[in-house]
Amino acid sequence: MSEPTRETKLSAAFVMLADTLIADYDVVDLLHSLVERCADILDTEAGGIMIVDTSGELQLVASTSEESSLVEIMQLNAGAGPCVQCFTTGLPVTVGDIENSGNDWPDFRREALRQGFHSVHATPMRLRGQVLGAMNLFSTTKGALNPEDIAVAQALADVATIGLLQERSIRESEVVAGQLQHALNSRILIEQAKGVLSENAGLTMSEAFTALRSYARDHNLTLRDVASGVVERSMDITARAPSRVRK
Amino acid sequence: MPGAGTDLCARFVDALPITGASIAVFDTTGHQSSVGSSDAIAARIDELQFELGEGPQWEAIRSTSPVCIPDVARDSHSRWPMFGTALQALDVGALFEIPLILSRVCVGAVGLYRRTPGSLAVSDLALAASISSLVSAAAVGRALASAGDNGPPETAASPAIRREVHQATGMILAQLETTAAVAHARLQAYAFSNGRTVHEVAHEVVSRQLNFRNLSE
Repeated sequence: MSEPTRETKLSAAFVMLADTLIADYDVVDLLHSLVERCADILDTEAGGIMIVDTSGELQLVASTSEESSLVEIMQLNAGAGPCVQCFTTGLPVTVGDIENSGNDWPDFRREALRQGFHSVHATPMRLRGQVLGAMNLFSTTKGALNPEDIAVAQALADVATIGLLQERSIRESEVVAGQLQHALNSRILIEQAKGVLSENAGLTMSEAFTALRSYARDHNLTLRDVASGVVERSMDITARAPSRVRK
Repeated sequence: MPGAGTDLCARFVDALPITGASIAVFDTTGHQSSVGSSDAIAARIDELQFELGEGPQWEAIRSTSPVCIPDVARDSHSRWPMFGTALQALDVGALFEIPLILSRVCVGAVGLYRRTPGSLAVSDLALAASISSLVSAAAVGRALASAGDNGPPETAASPAIRREVHQATGMILAQLETTAAVAHARLQAYAFSNGRTVHEVAHEVVSRQLNFRNLSE
């Protein structure tokens, strides 16, 4: 039995990513699958994906191993290493010989060599000018990735980036849906409360709104809280309303 | 005067073989803001489903898939009997309700009607779905704006949250010393049994021409 060819592995990886994207997916699972498949296809021994968080820091979100040694190397990589360079420039960074890669990243270089890694390749995760992070692949042998390998890594990373952005936009739309719920619910409560006050205190709708707002301000409550109290008839604001409405 | 959401409805009317369209945004608890409609019949289809609390719009939101009534006159309307009867009295041959999708979240429904009966082609349903995802963010934005303290005025073409109905609900709940849910149900029932729109009755309550305290149970 022969090993599956690289083409077979590659098309299987694309099918897997595409299948994941049309179903409900967990973005961390997606990135784990990506880095594992990439490490395998490109004959590298280890890999990790770093994504920028809301405070602008690169965080390790997926790796081929959870061993602390790999985590540490990734952190050094994000401080001063090929990963952060790739992230800031939005361009791939290939280091075919870590030992002779200059003095830019002393801590990263020392730790990578100590763990037996001799080459590293960082692929940007970007879409339309926005860089979200970078995928890093480590090899125990020397040698830069050839252009074909770089293109393969980039293509797989691009698919995962779409998944990452889609997940973010879903999260954002869930936030919008929450805002919508709050806005509609508050407005309905306020209109109902205006009706209650209008009926009980003989106010116009506009006077009723002023009464609600004054009460909310005077008692350091939100308009919605006061409206809710009025509608549930647990708060009687009409007794004091006349003196407060005048102003 | 065109309503605030009329331009969004025009996107559907221009691209699809339909007569008119209406857009309503819903939150997950069923609160509604009617963003716009292209004509009076489209507005009435939306209003009826708001008033009756039933209809294909509600099904489309629950299932997040289109609900089609290709032949309004012949349909049994078994899932929305009251709405079906009211719909048959309008000049509507076919009605299609499309969920309004923002990313993957359902935020409302678009009602598309045509005077003549007949199905909508699969390609047209797909087109309707993509227009719906194009306009959903704008529709939600307008619903949010109209729910604010200084929102744009409500019009017949974009009645938004229907403030008067909720004001009337508040007045009725005070008149009957009951809950908002019961007061709203009484308002709906009174309108339905008198063949009036909820909005007309609400307007009479708010302008103090009608008091539910004086109505016999």
